[in-house]
Order: sequence, then C-alpha cells, then structure tokens
Amino acid sequence: MVTGTGTPPREAGAKRPGPTRRPSFPLIGLIGLVAVVVLGLAVFASVAFGSRPTSISEVLAVLNGTADPGVATVVESRYPRTALGVFAGLCLAVAGTLMQGVTRNPLADPGLLGITSGAAAGIVTATAFLGASGQWAGVWWALAGALLAGLLVHVIGAAGSGAGLVRLVLAGAVVSAVLTAYVQAVTLGKPRVFDSYRYWVVGALGGRDFDVLGAVLPPAVLGLLVAVLLSPALNTLALGDESASALGANPALTRTGGLVAAVLLSTAATAAVGPIAFVGLAVPHIVRALVGVDFRLRIVFSAVVGPALLLLADVVGRLVLRPQELMVGVVTAFVGAPALLLAVRRMKGAS
Amino acid sequence: MTPIRAVSPRGVVTFGRAVAIPVGRASVVVVIVTVALIVVAAVATLSLGRLGIPLADLPGAVFGGAEGKEAFVLERLRGPRLAVAVGTGAALGLSGALFQTVTRNPLGSPDVIGLSAGAGAGAAVVALFLPGVLPVPVGALVGAVGAMALLYVSTGTGFRNPGRLIVAGIGVTAVSTAFTQYVVYAVERDRATALTAYLNGSLAARSWEHAATIWAVLLVVAPLVVLVAGRLVIGEMGDEVAAALGAEPARTRAVSVVLSVVLSAGAVSVAGPVAFIALTAPQIARRLTGGPGPHLVSAALVGALLLVLADLAAQQSPVPGNLPVGIYTLAVGGLYLGYLLTREWRKGSL
Repeated sequence: MVTGTGTPPREAGAKRPGPTRRPSFPLIGLIGLVAVVVLGLAVFASVAFGSRPTSISEVLAVLNGTADPGVATVVESRYPRTALGVFAGLCLAVAGTLMQGVTRNPLADPGLLGITSGAAAGIVTATAFLGASGQWAGVWWALAGALLAGLLVHVIGAAGSGAGLVRLVLAGAVVSAVLTAYVQAVTLGKPRVFDSYRYWVVGALGGRDFDVLGAVLPPAVLGLLVAVLLSPALNTLALGDESASALGANPALTRTGGLVAAVLLSTAATAAVGPIAFVGLAVPHIVRALVGVDFRLRIVFSAVVGPALLLLADVVGRLVLRPQELMVGVVTAFVGAPALLLAVRRMKGAS
Repeated sequence: MTPIRAVSPRGVVTFGRAVAIPVGRASVVVVIVTVALIVVAAVATLSLGRLGIPLADLPGAVFGGAEGKEAFVLERLRGPRLAVAVGTGAALGLSGALFQTVTRNPLGSPDVIGLSAGAGAGAAVVALFLPGVLPVPVGALVGAVGAMALLYVSTGTGFRNPGRLIVAGIGVTAVSTAFTQYVVYAVERDRATALTAYLNGSLAARSWEHAATIWAVLLVVAPLVVLVAGRLVIGEMGDEVAAALGAEPARTRAVSVVLSVVLSAGAVSVAGPVAFIALTAPQIARRLTGGPGPHLVSAALVGALLLVLADLAAQQSPVPGNLPVGIYTLAVGGLYLGYLLTREWRKGSL
C-alpha cells in the first residue's frame, strides 16, 4: 500500500523518474514559444467557431471594431466562455501539477477528491434553502462547499504520514457518497433546484458571464500565488523528505501549502464551470514529458498547456454536434478516459 | 498459514465429491439471527403506515386469502416490493462476497469499480436514443456488463491488482458518468427526473415480474456458487497452495467474477444501481461470523436484511416525495465506509 513516505509511489502511466536530463535552455524556449502560439490559436478558435458559423474575416473585422453589430454580438458572446476556458484550464492544470509534486498522486481530479460533490452540495443548498436565484448565483456557495469538502477529504485521507493514493481516493469516495446522497435527496423533490444542478454538473463553459469569473478569481489568484512561491520547495521535496529536511526545507509545511493551493485552484475552476475531468490528470504528465522535472518550469508550462487543451476540447465540442453542442466536460471525459485505461494497462506493481 | 485448521474442525457439509460447504457454529447462529431479523423487518414493511395491514390480520392475509384493500396492498404494492428487496439484497450481498474474496480486495465490489456507472450510461442511452423501444432496465443490464468487460480488458491482468482496478474503475466511471450527465442535461425535465430517480436505485412500484426476474437469477446462480464455494475457501490460502490442492485458482477466480457480475447485473436490472449493499454486506457478515472464509450465505442474508431495512426507511420516512431507497443506502453506506476506513487506518493496515 502506498504511504507517501519511504519509497515514493509510482505514478500511473508514467515511467519511473529516470535520470533527470533537463532539456537545454534554447529547447525550453522553443517549446515555450510553441505552447504560447498553440494557446493563442486556441483562443482565436474559441472566439471564431461556434454553433452559428462566422468566417475568419468576420471575426477579424469584429476584433478591429469594423464589423456590423449582428456579427459583433455573436462573436462577443464568445468572450466570456473563452476567458472562463483559459481560467479553468489554468487552474485545473496547475492544481494537478501541485498534487503530483505534493503527493506524487497522479489522480488529482476534482471529482475524486470530493471537490465536485462539495460544490454541488453548495449550489443545491443555496438554491433550495437560501433563496439564491439566477442560474449562477450559487457560485459563492459552490466555492464554500467545495473548499470544505476538499479540505475534509485531505484531512481524512492524509492524516498521519503522507497521503497514499488509495487512501485519498477512498476518502474522496466517502465524502462524495454522503454529499451526493444529500444532493440527490434535495434535487429529486425540487424541480427548480434540479434544473440548476443538472445544468451545472455536466461541466460547460457556455452560458456564464464575466460575473462568475469575478467571483472565483480571488481564491484562484491566492492558489496560484502559493503555487509559484512553493515551486522551489517542491523541487527540494522531490528529493525525499529526509534530504529535504537536511537541506533546511520543511516538508510538512510544503505539503500542506501545496494541498491547500491545489484545493483552492480546483475549487475555483469547478465552482465556475462545473466538473471537468482529466485536465488536471493529463496536463501534468504532458508537461513533465516536455520540460522535465523542475517544478518552476512545470507550473509555468501547465498554466499555458492547460488552457490550450481545455479551449481546444471546448471548440471540438461546439463543432461535432453543430448546431447543438457537446459540453466540454463530456469531451474531456471521452478523450481522457481511454487514455487513462491505456495507461493502466502499462502500470506495473501492486498499487 | 492457519486456514486448514480454521476449516476442518468447524465441520463441512458435503454433497457428493464436488460440493463441500464449511459450516461453523458462529455462522449458523448468524444465519438464524439474520433470517429472524429479515422476517421482523418484512412484517414491519407489510404492517406499518397508513396502508399497512394490521398485525392481527397479517397471518390471515398472507396464508389465507386477502380481500379488498389488504389484497391490493399485499399483492400489488408491498408484497412484490418486499420480494424484490429480499432478492436484490441477497444477490448484491452474494455478489460482493464473491468479488471481494477472489480479488482479496475488501473494497472491490462491482458497484464501486464502475458497474453502477456503466448501468447508468446504458440506461441513459436507452432513454435518449431508444425511448419506448427498449425498456430502461435492459439498457442498464447491457451497460453494466459492458463496463465490466471494459474494466476487465483495461486492467490487463484481470481483476486481481487493487491499484489497477481502482484506477481503471475511475476511468470507466468517468466516461460513463459524463455521458449520463449529458443525457440528463439534454432531455426535458420530467424524463431527466425519472432517469435520475432510476439511477439512484429504487424499489418503488415493483411488480411480481421484477421479483420473478431477480429470484430466477438467484436460483440459477446460487447452485453454481455452491459448486465453486469449496475452491474459494481453498483459494484463501494463496495461489500456490490452492494449485497444489487441485483448486485451479485462476479458473475459480474467473468463474467467481463472472457469477458476481451476473448477480450484480441482475440486481441492477430490477432495482437500478443500489449503492453500497454489495460493498458492506460481506464486510458486516465477516465481522459477525469471524474467521476466514467467504461467508457467502451470511453475506447474502445480511444484504437482504440491509436492503429490506433501507426500503422500510424509504417507505416510512417523513421526508416528502418518497425518496428512492438508493439515496438511503448511499448516505448510510458512505458513513459506514468512512468508519471502516478510519478504523483500518488507525490499525495501520491500509
């Protein structure tokens, strides 16, 4: 069974951290440039493609401010969801990278860590009992519920020595089960609450405005700040607890700070756009394959690759069923799950 | 290596050479007490509440002929519902006990690792694409079996490795859940509500056909379980010992997993995915009975008792709107799992 201390548990799908050859500086610069260009293209695609077709020249005209108002309205209606996509992708990817650093746990997924059910319980409580109205007025409560549930899971799962993978997942299952029972019990009896819940729980970027972003920005900024400040300490932690202590670091403090930051970030994303699976799982692996093991680089690159992936998934979701659309949470699950199952087949060892 | 001693002095009931069921005194007591409790819970189910048949009239109504309101309650409302609850609970308990024994994983039960989510996705497919063409339970059945097949393929080594099992279960669950939620989002509210209620696991409005289905599954599978039971006990000693004793551990394991999935899928098809019975019943049976061994009979009986009790709570609870029984098992089962985990962690065994 994985215990976190002692022998480091292996990550699913990843090879053992072999000799850490760091890519050279020009190569990193080149990868960074490519990543930024891809993100830029993803942002442009998110603004340009939608259920109502708009041509590239029309979009460029809108960006120049020379288009006719009808087209401008259509294109501008895509700004909030693009901003939310960048925001959520960044939060989930950085949270996943932090979790890998802190627990070496490859399963830093909001759904598994109680965050999704906590946010759901918050939204349902707000709309059912506290008179919150409007589709997204529950976002503050989602934030509070997710934060509480996420921290509870880590307290249960990580009590004592470092958090083992199976323990954390099971703690998440326990908290999720009880909260889900509550959510189901309330929603089944109240159609209005059920509606706001089912539109949130599918995980979508559309239908939100900038107010939602404003509500979840503070915890995300705080989490990101902690993540950046912690990244050198995470490098030290990767050497193992004893070496880290010998180098003057405080492993327990780093671990706690990293977990809190990860919970803050994934909570902010989940409260805003609903549960989105596999971004927090996949991006850290991609980034590590690209830039190596240095956490300072990994966090910066996660913040670029995560938004790019999420926006591309959203654009794909808008195009496959046009004029209807497939929510981004569904797209990421359908792409991510097969990848995870393939990774499991390559997993070695007992746990 | 103590299992030999644990088996032989407690007595073994044999039928010919193929069947040997170990019977201990503790298990006999547990079986008798559990059956008695099931009877009590069943009587309460039939007699409590506004529509209940008064206790004094119950024997006459059950053994003689019931008339009027009592006949309606007994033959249309609570009778079939009770029969479905007992059968489904027993099937789930037995399924969980089989699965946990062969995977040696106290947390491996088909519903935890993706069977329920798969059943939900199957039901959702039917609700979205084939409304009225195919009954929703058939979709659930196909989805459940499909999810287990996917899990089996993606773990590579079968269901043995707990780490792989949990991670692959997460993948299967994620994709099934995402699809189900998309359907719940896409269809109109009434159908979404009906689908959600079904997906919680419900025993409301069951007919005698439902009861016949689950009891038929039990009657077909139980004899097969009895056939592998002896080998399962030997399997507890480890693969090498089991192989040396001629118990063919790999084959026993595969057969048991298939039987377990069939039982769970049968339960899903009549009651929807009722959470946690398959997980907790074997654990409770094991703690009550003590000692090694799969405790198949006790697990089935405990499962039946749990589900009848949960459904009694669902029927008699003062909460308006009659919540489906699955919500009760989810809440209570979740709390029990939490208790179990913290206890194991305090002992340091997990």
